Amino acid sequence: MNLLQLRRRSSTFALPFNHRVVGGKVLITNTEGAFLLLTPAEFERFAEGNVDRASELFTRLKERNFIRGEENRESMIQRIRTRKSFLSFGPNLHIIVVTLRCNETCVYCHASRAGMDAVQTDLTKELAEKTVDQILKTTNPNVTIEFQGGEPLVNFEVVKHTIEYALEANKKVGKQLEFTMVSNLSLMDEDKLAYLVGKKVQICTSIDGPEHLHDKQRKLPKLSAHQKASYWIKRINDEYERMGLDTSLYHVEALLTTTRDTLPLWKEVVDTYVSLGCKALFLRPVDPFGFAEKTGGRVEYPRTEYLQFYRQATDYMLELNKQGVQILERFAAIFLTKILGGEDPNFLDIRNPCGAGIGQVAYNYDGKIFTCDEGRMVHEMGDSTFLIGDVTTSTYRDLMGHETVRALALASNLEAQPDCVNCTYQPYCGVCPVHNHRTQGTIFGRMRESTLCAVHKGIQDYLFEKLGAGDPQTLETFKKWTTVRDRTHFLQSCAV
Amino acid sequence: MTEVTGDQGIPADVVEHHLDRGAVSLRVDSALYPLEAIYAAAYVFIDRCYVFLDRVAEGKVRVTLSPKGAPYDAAAAREVVGEFANELLSCAWRAQITRESRATIEAVTAQALSGARGAPSLDDLEAFDFSDEAFDDPLGIAMSWEEKYAKNKKDASKTEPKPEEPKAEGGVEP
Repeated sequence: MNLLQLRRRSSTFALPFNHRVVGGKVLITNTEGAFLLLTPAEFERFAEGNVDRASELFTRLKERNFIRGEENRESMIQRIRTRKSFLSFGPNLHIIVVTLRCNETCVYCHASRAGMDAVQTDLTKELAEKTVDQILKTTNPNVTIEFQGGEPLVNFEVVKHTIEYALEANKKVGKQLEFTMVSNLSLMDEDKLAYLVGKKVQICTSIDGPEHLHDKQRKLPKLSAHQKASYWIKRINDEYERMGLDTSLYHVEALLTTTRDTLPLWKEVVDTYVSLGCKALFLRPVDPFGFAEKTGGRVEYPRTEYLQFYRQATDYMLELNKQGVQILERFAAIFLTKILGGEDPNFLDIRNPCGAGIGQVAYNYDGKIFTCDEGRMVHEMGDSTFLIGDVTTSTYRDLMGHETVRALALASNLEAQPDCVNCTYQPYCGVCPVHNHRTQGTIFGRMRESTLCAVHKGIQDYLFEKLGAGDPQTLETFKKWTTVRDRTHFLQSCAV
Repeated sequence: MTEVTGDQGIPADVVEHHLDRGAVSLRVDSALYPLEAIYAAAYVFIDRCYVFLDRVAEGKVRVTLSPKGAPYDAAAAREVVGEFANELLSCAWRAQITRESRATIEAVTAQALSGARGAPSLDDLEAFDFSDEAFDDPLGIAMSWEEKYAKNKKDASKTEPKPEEPKAEGGVEP
């Protein structure tokens, strides 16, 4: 059932809407992000303007602002304002690459890591201070400084110096400051852990699934990368428990990069994460950045196969939740927060407009500044399109007013994007101009040919099929996945 | 029936191959595809191809694409023609919806950029060059409609402003 099959469409009954057939029902959405799943017969009556005012269907449509002349304009405005609340502030995520050096060799490395002898890729303390000075000028009251690499533990002295300097500098500006670190954990030791935990640094790592797959894709000389990471995940989680923190809330976050070899191992991947005490699993497909571009022949796959993998893994996670196991899929949580919660969780890669520059900024080891981490990755591949300044000469307003930042804000606005403008999932979706630039040669991109669009659409198809099926336990799990619990322990105390 | 080539189903009278010169030309109807879309689509290809536009007849723009990478063969030609055709459609539609959604796009972008930049500080104000023009405006975007098209008022046949089209050479109809 779609509009083309209807002969007597009404142009006056409905407010503007988009529709898509999902799981035997017709999904309709509107600008404010309200949705309804209608039976084909209900959709026909709706589209033809043939809905009895006394009917239950009329009430449902009216409550969600789908009927012209019956809309609650105040609620529409409020919902749109809530969804776009991130527009009022500048970047809150600030990624610092403290070194490109890394002791692991990953088959898909997006960061284009350097060898352990490449000390020239270490961030200096002087540049670290200038980077922090730049970061604290953001108009956003919330600031997250994320240490990345390479492997940040390789240049741990500068990580520590950056934290100490930021804590001191923040006393003057009073930002709500958080620190996170993305590490393979293989260079962790008790002293480093004590410092990081003491300074309330959130720790995030990568787990590619079961040990044999992880160690095949992430080479650590003479050692098992998986055993190292697993040991420290458990050790850090134990430390949180020892400190009396709620372990359902405070634990090491781990990220998956899905390669071709991962696809048949969906169950093993989920089981690995659960056994390590992880509460969330982000089923990320491989990106065309860094080494992954060269190794694409080995690691890439059609996105239809990825979506099958996604469905199998997420179905399994839903089953585990029914058995009382706490594990969520991150993509689903992001989309469901928008779909069910009416709020934007400000995940910068799936935002409209995207977070490039206006939501996140990436600072390289040499002081160069990029619109986002992906832009920095592309720079390491020899393409400096997304370079917007450097920490020694650029002012904050130079960066935010940079022509590349403006271009990306326009290019990622779905109202200006063919296909997206008429897409049923527009209220919940986002595009990545850097991905478009890399894969299609234009920051605007062509969504029908975009692998990222295929993934976003496919995941939302899955989620709406589940919502339409209406299994009470699944809906209960979805509700839990959209419940945001602030991890206040990780917030630094601020003073002005 | 229009003859169809192997170039992604594009009619034969639209595509002209010059395999010996490593180039392919497409004739684009500028009534169907606005000039701004042709420019935008052509520009996307300048990292992969040498691109040349010329006007071969009234309302017909010829786009010549010469891929930079060797070897150039029938398969490469087919690829570049198909890619260009898809990009051209995308740009044409984008031009249309950008006009239709202009108010929303401008409101969101203005809010995003002003929210990110914040108000200028006293240091910023001190650094402003108030003696300079507000900004360079080579295309006359900031000009009023009357200023920009005043000369056209004299021409009674023109009631709507139109984007300037490239001047033709060598006796070709402008």
